[in-house]
Amino acid sequence: MIRLWLKQILAERYGRALGTAIGLALTVALFCTLGAFVTSASGAMTAHAVASVPVDWQVLVAPGADPMAIAQAIGSAAPPKELQAIGYAESAGFSAVTGETSQKTGPGKVLGIASDYYDRFPGQIQLLLGSLDGVLIAQQTAANLHVGPGDLVTIERIGASATQVTVAGVVALPNADAMFQAVGAPKGTAPQAPPDNVLIVPMPQWRTLFAPQAARSDTVRTEFHVRLDHTSLPPDPSAAFVQVQQMANNLEARVAGSAAVGNNLAAALDTARQDALYAQVLFLFLGTPGLVLAILFTLAVAAAGADRRRREQALLRLRGASLLQLIRLAGAEAMLVGLVGIMLGLALTQLTTLAWLPAGGAGYSLVWLPLVALTGLTVATAAFVLPAWREASQSTVSAARAQVAKKTCPLWQRLYLDLVCLTAAALAFWYTANSGYNIILATEGVTQVSVHYEAFIAPALLWLGSSLLWMRLTRLALGPGRAAVRIAIAPLAAGLTRIISASLARQHPRMAHGVALVALAFAFATSTAVFNTTYNAQSRVDAALTNGADVTVTGTATHQIGQLLADLRRISGVADAEPMMHRFAYVGSDLQDIFGIDPTQIGKATSLVDAYFDNHDVGRTLELLRQTRDGILVSEETVSDFQLQLGDTINLRLQDARDHQYHVVPFRFIGIVREFPTAPKDSFLVANASYLAEVTGGSAADIVLMRTVADPSAVAAAARTIVTAVPGAKVTTLGETQALISSNLTAVSLYGLTNIELAFAILMIGGTAGLVLALGLSERRQSFAVLTALGAKRRHRRAFLWSEGLLIVAGGTILGLVAGLGLTKVLVSILAGVFDPPPETLSIPWMYLGATVAGALVCSAAAIMIVEAHLEEPDLEMLRSG
Amino acid sequence: MTEPLVLANGVTRRFRHGDGVTNAVLPASFTVRDGDRIALIGASGSGKSTLVHLMAGLDQPSEGALCWPALGPRTSLRPEQVGVVFQTPSLIPTLSVLENVELPLLLAGREAYDAALAALGVVGLATLADKLPDDLSGGQAQRVAIARALAVCPRLILADEPTGQLDQATAALVVDGLLAFVSSSNAALVVATHDRTIANRMNTTWIMEHGNLHVAPAEAVA
Repeated sequence: MIRLWLKQILAERYGRALGTAIGLALTVALFCTLGAFVTSASGAMTAHAVASVPVDWQVLVAPGADPMAIAQAIGSAAPPKELQAIGYAESAGFSAVTGETSQKTGPGKVLGIASDYYDRFPGQIQLLLGSLDGVLIAQQTAANLHVGPGDLVTIERIGASATQVTVAGVVALPNADAMFQAVGAPKGTAPQAPPDNVLIVPMPQWRTLFAPQAARSDTVRTEFHVRLDHTSLPPDPSAAFVQVQQMANNLEARVAGSAAVGNNLAAALDTARQDALYAQVLFLFLGTPGLVLAILFTLAVAAAGADRRRREQALLRLRGASLLQLIRLAGAEAMLVGLVGIMLGLALTQLTTLAWLPAGGAGYSLVWLPLVALTGLTVATAAFVLPAWREASQSTVSAARAQVAKKTCPLWQRLYLDLVCLTAAALAFWYTANSGYNIILATEGVTQVSVHYEAFIAPALLWLGSSLLWMRLTRLALGPGRAAVRIAIAPLAAGLTRIISASLARQHPRMAHGVALVALAFAFATSTAVFNTTYNAQSRVDAALTNGADVTVTGTATHQIGQLLADLRRISGVADAEPMMHRFAYVGSDLQDIFGIDPTQIGKATSLVDAYFDNHDVGRTLELLRQTRDGILVSEETVSDFQLQLGDTINLRLQDARDHQYHVVPFRFIGIVREFPTAPKDSFLVANASYLAEVTGGSAADIVLMRTVADPSAVAAAARTIVTAVPGAKVTTLGETQALISSNLTAVSLYGLTNIELAFAILMIGGTAGLVLALGLSERRQSFAVLTALGAKRRHRRAFLWSEGLLIVAGGTILGLVAGLGLTKVLVSILAGVFDPPPETLSIPWMYLGATVAGALVCSAAAIMIVEAHLEEPDLEMLRSG
Repeated sequence: MTEPLVLANGVTRRFRHGDGVTNAVLPASFTVRDGDRIALIGASGSGKSTLVHLMAGLDQPSEGALCWPALGPRTSLRPEQVGVVFQTPSLIPTLSVLENVELPLLLAGREAYDAALAALGVVGLATLADKLPDDLSGGQAQRVAIARALAVCPRLILADEPTGQLDQATAALVVDGLLAFVSSSNAALVVATHDRTIANRMNTTWIMEHGNLHVAPAEAVA
């Protein structure tokens, strides 16, 4: 019997079975692709975190401890790939005499390193000038002392006489925060700022220099820098973090207080596990609706043939089929469709993973195979077996054979569940938005990272409430609001308007489901696309702030590029180029960036917007600065930290170019600045360049901002040839900076996730608008056969077909687009942590949304035309069988 | 004499399925005129329905000439010219009884409401106008289908086993309705049936046997 049933399905209803299998394939493929993406993203994040750490561990040897024993303990706890001892010595200060001036710095540090350190731990020290063979000086220290390769620097030793070294090279220390961290500091202690003044000397020389200082053990110490073997690390960042942390604990237990571990790798993995959690949160917020939609799509395709199936089963019941036999038949159909759907879905997954995941990423989908297969079969069972069981056990044969559902109001509609959900969503959102929460909470020193799962309540309720509301609205439109429907379809239906609207009204459950499904697909596509576009827009804002202008040329403290301004302005494609001074000033004991600008000219080279200033008025702020010679704009954080009031006089300490000493300079606080091109995110100051030049005795500009009217890359290339003689000068474009920002882990995750979703959203919109409509129409072939036999011409049949299509697609599109925007607003507020800076408005991807609408129209038109083509001649078999 | 409504000469209809061929109608020649009341009788599967579909213009012959001299070419046949009552009621389930009857009138661009209500009155179902087809018995549904065919006052009514699923009393009512209509309108009626009682109420009887039609000699097709 089962074989006969399946044979009949393949012979007579293959289209419907294939349609359901395609729906299932989309569910399986989306599930598998998203799963593969999350797994592969976690692995990439671990690899990225590991690669970003030049030194995994910094093991501080306690005074009096035996370094050899510590080295052995490290080897036992975690066999290292690289292990090297580094000397750290405190210095009372450095001084140098250049020309006719002498400069002196505050306290500093002198490192002793082996000659092969640069090769073993690449990325720790970057050579800017001179040679690595010999004594190296940090860039900032070189600027403070006005020294370069070949100059002499005096080191003030503690408890010993001063000594002199000759500088061989100037270096940057990109990893200074970790390099000079306070290893072994109690958990929760504020991080220690790296020293302003650093010298690096060869290890043998360091030992000689600081042997006299050894008596002061608090000023001389040894650290082991360690690189671990990474091959045994698990791909999941959380698991890798735990493993690395446990290895460090093991070491500390072995050395029993004679050493402390600065675990840089664990710190990087700690950040990565937060990023991984963000990726998972994004998956839940943006991916779950897609999965639910795909499942609903499958059920809807299966439900398109439900009436006919119900009537067939009613006939079988009339002929004595038992409940068990009916369920077996439905189960066989579910298995057939399920297996075909799963196989098609896996084939589609291979294509999508090849397109969106890195090489080898396709393998990650296999991890998800069992779960995905189970889901596919469960969905197929839900599509076929559950309705069969429900009909057979709860409905009479007469009711099951009825072709039009009786007018009943669903329970949810009577309970106003849609409005209850929407109200609850609003309350949950209000509570979440006002509770000042972080969706990901990673407490320092705590192994577990927590996710604020309550934040999911608002969007989940919003999705549910919106879907139910769409169905209510469709029912209302086809009931009390039928006049509006008549007006809408009148141009298509002409003289048949009354009859067609009545026919549609009697199909209100099917129509409501159709509209809701199309609306869901559009809401999903809209929310994903708008979220993605808003994120990208914010990353452009971030890039514009970071880079400062279309093209930015930056010099160094010792080699400014202001003198090349005229040459830079002459580059073809440059609309304007403006100089900007960049100095450092002490606010109290805090060293901050200070920018000197010409308020009347700066806007020509860079885009300044109202949102950058606390008073939301860029014009008024710059005019005030122009009028106030000693005026200064202060960042929000500095204003808060130092309890400043507008109009206050702020005494800053600035280095004078004439004597290279810091002097107190008064400024008047005239405004609060939130963001400024090239400025750091936290603390900075903006003043008049003319005043800054006057009080520091130097007008040289360190930065030139350039607005372009041609390809910025070409302008940047020309600028690079001009500044090639300036050591350390950098030319960057907005595009390069944005690419850098877009390579962060959250951006990569979002990029991958949204690409997958946007593609599937198009497929599902096409599917819902086309396949569901076509199958629904083809299920009523008998009605159309009668219509044709009664003399209906093509235009009459079109009136029926297009009216139905119009109502489902247009209704679903409008409701879905509106709801999608609302959902995005909620998502952007809840996921504010992924935006930098948070957006003030949503960015609408008109092209993509236009493509989805066009796709829906094309698919529905194609579906209608295919059905229409089959109705040219009346189906006599259909008329004969009834 | 008026032009014939249907004129057939050597009409055949074959159906191909796989490698096999079924000859549903072997060469048949016949004429149908205004006022004719023809019973088309034969066993199930003898080709009656196929012949009715051919006469209605819903199907095309494999060979031979079939035309409608008084009605026009096949492609322009309209419900008000040929009304068809199918073997099963074939009502549109999402339209009410009244709307089902109105439908051919609306398709013909005519005023529908009053004529449809009157047609329902003829078959005695005006009180069920607002019901849905699912709410009707088989007999009621078939009478609605007849009302739908009559509502447009066609010149030719083709009824394919209209009483096949009805009890005798209901069948008699249905046939009464059809005969009353053709008497008043001078329309032609062709009823395919295997019920001798119904056949006896017609003027002429055609017999179908394995696709062969036994009928009075046909006029030559012009």
